[in-house]
Amino acid sequence: MTPSRISHRVASVVAATFASLFLLFLVAPIAELVATGGGSGLRKLTTDAELRSSLWLTLVTATSAVLCGVAGGTPIAYLLARKQFRGRAVLSAILDLPLLIPHPVAGIALLLVLGRNSVVGGAALDAGLRIVGSPIGIAVAMLFVSAPLYVSGAREAFARVDPRYEAVARTLGDPPWRAFRRVSLPLSMRGLIAAAVVMWARAVSEFGAIVVITYNPKAASVLSYDRFTSFGLSEALPVAAVLAILALVPLTVLRALRYGRTAADTGWAGDG
Amino acid sequence: MHTRVGAFELRDVSFIVPRGNYGVVIGPAGSGKTTLLETIAGIRPLRAGMVALDGRDARALPPEARRVGFVYQHGYLFPHLSVDENIAYGAASTERARETAARLGADDLLGRSVRGLSGGERQLVAIARALAARPSILLLDEPFSALDPRRRVRVRREVRALHQEWNITVLQVTHDFTEAGLLGDVAILLDGGRVLQSGPPERVFREPASPYIAEFLGAENVLAGTVHHLRDTAPDWSASADDLSDPAARGKHAIEFRAGPLTLYTVGDAEEGSGHAVIRAEEILLSLEPHPSSARNVFRGRIVEVASSGALTRVTVDIHNTPLIAALTTRSADELGLTPGQEVHASFKAMAVHLC
Repeated sequence: MTPSRISHRVASVVAATFASLFLLFLVAPIAELVATGGGSGLRKLTTDAELRSSLWLTLVTATSAVLCGVAGGTPIAYLLARKQFRGRAVLSAILDLPLLIPHPVAGIALLLVLGRNSVVGGAALDAGLRIVGSPIGIAVAMLFVSAPLYVSGAREAFARVDPRYEAVARTLGDPPWRAFRRVSLPLSMRGLIAAAVVMWARAVSEFGAIVVITYNPKAASVLSYDRFTSFGLSEALPVAAVLAILALVPLTVLRALRYGRTAADTGWAGDG
Repeated sequence: MHTRVGAFELRDVSFIVPRGNYGVVIGPAGSGKTTLLETIAGIRPLRAGMVALDGRDARALPPEARRVGFVYQHGYLFPHLSVDENIAYGAASTERARETAARLGADDLLGRSVRGLSGGERQLVAIARALAARPSILLLDEPFSALDPRRRVRVRREVRALHQEWNITVLQVTHDFTEAGLLGDVAILLDGGRVLQSGPPERVFREPASPYIAEFLGAENVLAGTVHHLRDTAPDWSASADDLSDPAARGKHAIEFRAGPLTLYTVGDAEEGSGHAVIRAEEILLSLEPHPSSARNVFRGRIVEVASSGALTRVTVDIHNTPLIAALTTRSADELGLTPGQEVHASFKAMAVHLC
């Protein structure tokens, strides 16, 4: 065996070792969590009313946050993907900001804007709408920290669709909105759904911002933390395991979407 | 018009395709042909200038209001729709879409998914889709490039027929000079975002405005040299019966063009001094003996190459170290028994020499 082949083999072994250790580091804690607490967590779903209502609250608020994120984020994502305009880079940076600041800090910032002593929070309270310390507060915190992920994913989804499809639709008589609805939207739908799923998963797992703005009623992540600090690891474990299992749902959806897109791309290759 | 895409600019582009005429845009890759069509369609913004469609200012009109059909080279069929749905996309009715598909020979593709279509089939469906919307103006970006030869002939013929029947003004981008000559009423030569020359295809091909255009259009013989006006030779010229009788009466000069050891005779309005002479290969006759014709330019030379490509054969003749390329039918070349090393006479009329 030549020296170059020996060094190539040694490098391969070292790389494979590091990669395996890294993978183990990512998988081991979650696998251990699910293995240890998964069974009891699922059983607790039938007996623990607080856990059930906490999970339900989390699902409802996360879904509401995603719906708001899709409604507000889709036009921005389309704008960023399609148009060149002054301030585009600044807009992109602003949208990434919530991802970069620590999430408890995001919660404090939201508290300043939506708290009862703020203009918006005070006006909402006067109108009978309580934000802080309510499910609305949870949804708002989720929206703030996870919407940038949707906008980023949706922007990529729109950017993947060649604008010439839309141009052709325009020459065939479609005004901009109809061309968007009939062409750009269907062609980017998988990517938009994937972006929404990622946002939903991030919203479900949010803790830092929620705990600042709404400790009660408890979202699942807050309940897990509360059980840990109040009763120790054994009580927190089932809740944590159920949350981990819940995370597998969006992961599976994303895999299915990616498989679908790969199959579709193969069929569409060559056009454009 | 003037428009910009990134660092590329279309500048001072100006031409007219009369209503109901067929225009062809010819130019090398990257010359701005697609950008030109997209600007006319309203897909790209116009920075300055004016686009008039059907006699009205189109600058304020969005693409959907311009009644312009657009066919990209790659079709851009909507992949989430079937062939039927694609063709019917902008049509007033499904019947009209089916009629158009049948007319173009695309009816056998109906009912199929877009995903399984070949490149040529995609182009065919894209043309049907654009025509089914009954546009007033049709913009075609190399629309026949992926069609197989049999289908290309039929689709080209049908597009030309529909253009005449429905009085559609067409502007087509092509690399194919034969296609430009076959289809076009107006040829526009584009390079580097500028129009180099425009006019009837026959004139653009025969009278290129510069040696660069001549070479781009495939002129085989472009010779650099000097132009001299002949002032005292008119009687001799009229005696040559080479359609040159009394050039001065037509505001032209009898010209002697010296290109190294070759001296060519022609008429034209070229100024004296350095210039280029363009002689298309198909204008040069080859014969084994001096040809008893009225051709003004006759040279004796030796064949250096005989290259046959199907029905046409190109023969390179060395005349005093200057190569001249003649094109003749392969049948004629075979009958003459042309082979390298053979001595031949090359002759061409004065009118075959274009100076630029």
